[in-house]
Amino acid sequence: MSFNKDSAVREAKTDLAKRLKVSESEIKEVSVSETDFPDMSLGVPVEDEMSAQMISTGWQINLNADGENYEYRADKYQLRLRGFNGTNYIVKS
Amino acid sequence: MNRNNFWIHFGIAVIIITFAAVLGQIRRWETSLRTTKITEKSIKSTTKPNAVKRSADDREPEVLVKFRPGVNLAEINKIAIKNGDRVEDNLEIVKGLIAIDDLDNADAKTVAEQYSQMTDLVLYAHPNNEIRLDPTEKFNYSGNTYSDEADINSPNDPLFREQWALSNTGQNGGKSDADVAALKAWLKTQGSENVVVAVLDSGVDYTHPDLISNMWLRPGNVSQYKDNELGIFNDEHGFNAAENQSDPMDDNGHGTHCAGIIGAEGNNDQGISGINWKVQIMPLKFMGRGGFGTTKDAIEAINYAIDRKRNGVNVRVISASWGSTGYSKALEDAIRAAGEEGILFVAAAGNNSTDNDKRPHYPSNYNLPNVLSVAALDRTDALASFSNFGTKTVHIAAPGREILSTWLNDEYREASGTSMATPYVSGVAALILASEPKLSVEKLRERLLKSVDKLDSLNGKVESGGRLNAAKALGN
Repeated sequence: MSFNKDSAVREAKTDLAKRLKVSESEIKEVSVSETDFPDMSLGVPVEDEMSAQMISTGWQINLNADGENYEYRADKYQLRLRGFNGTNYIVKS
Repeated sequence: MNRNNFWIHFGIAVIIITFAAVLGQIRRWETSLRTTKITEKSIKSTTKPNAVKRSADDREPEVLVKFRPGVNLAEINKIAIKNGDRVEDNLEIVKGLIAIDDLDNADAKTVAEQYSQMTDLVLYAHPNNEIRLDPTEKFNYSGNTYSDEADINSPNDPLFREQWALSNTGQNGGKSDADVAALKAWLKTQGSENVVVAVLDSGVDYTHPDLISNMWLRPGNVSQYKDNELGIFNDEHGFNAAENQSDPMDDNGHGTHCAGIIGAEGNNDQGISGINWKVQIMPLKFMGRGGFGTTKDAIEAINYAIDRKRNGVNVRVISASWGSTGYSKALEDAIRAAGEEGILFVAAAGNNSTDNDKRPHYPSNYNLPNVLSVAALDRTDALASFSNFGTKTVHIAAPGREILSTWLNDEYREASGTSMATPYVSGVAALILASEPKLSVEKLRERLLKSVDKLDSLNGKVESGGRLNAAKALGN
């Protein structure tokens, strides 16, 4: 799987709609920005994971559904969801 | 000129101009193609540094004399004439360094001694044929400062001038001498192919032209790796725990970058120089294309390194430019076991700008006698804004911002992180071992910590309070 900004946003919307069990049309894109993350887990490690400690550029994708904000992070190789119900997820890699 | 002739001449002129324009464009394309292989970020200088390579050829000047600051060229000329010599060349690369040509057939050694005795004017002098890029024993400095003299020892790698971490001359806004003192260290040793450094990472592109000569290959007398659960591996180049196979080829780039810092071949007329010109890099892949991996795979790879050590491979350092906040007793035990085999484990402190004393980061926080935790500095000797710190749990700092090193597809790239600081410490550990192969892991760790350059910026930030200094670590 290889991402660019647009495909990462599309995948994030699809993922969030599935998790919330709502239609993708109900997911609003709040902002998408290019960001430096502290490591190659994009600053959102999952359990039992170790990541390269190199500053990595990717995209921070902020979505909203039913008034709640959700944060995804992506780079060309991965898409992650930050702190969904208190847990980080690797959505795709 | 009649009308027909005019149009013929006009047509020829248009063809010539068009041809010239096309030729010019082709040349521009050629230039562009030549430069695209080097890095995404701008690398301004690809010119070769002025490494001094001289032979004992008869036409060469016989003696090189380093005059004290303040002695000008006119005075030097007078001294030379008085001694029956002449100034052959003013070697601008090193301020005050003059090539002297003897005119009265005295041998070079005698001439050098003559100048050496002029201690009020001369810092050192030696026959020209003793200047070389392997200056281990015959450099005999009498001055207090080594910085100018050490310039002689610059490798000929064309991107060396961009490697501020090895030699910071203040380039690109840096601070002079905010580096690991590599030039001075290389006066003692430039590394050894007898030392094996395991790069526990995303693999290494072992075909990179600047790495290929320094990659570990399983010796013929060492049997293939056998894991009771995973089977037998033809571990020719290392080990890939991420995919349970033998091929540790890097598909991310991070491991290749770290490997270049430790041991890109030095003085090979291409790319960069590692802190070791010669070393053996053993790739241990446990992180995949995304640059992350599991604790279990890290442990598998450490077990591999221990097994190889027990089978006679001289693995003395594991470089670990990765981490997380999750504690694992199993990983801690694996690293302890590596220590018991005489393997130093150098770990990145992490990039969250946080205090590891309060918010632990692993594996750098394991309190083991073979673990060294590394913070990152920028080119002005300031703690990098992203770097973790901790007076009890982060031990040493090293350059880690805007570090140029090897990348995939034969490229070079700048990168930042405690990931980049870590291999400098690993690399200097390997340099020490090249010089003192029997040094215990405890003594090796102690040497690295006790030889730092103390910095105000690190006071209250890291245990040693200082930056890695390769030259001091070698006792140079």
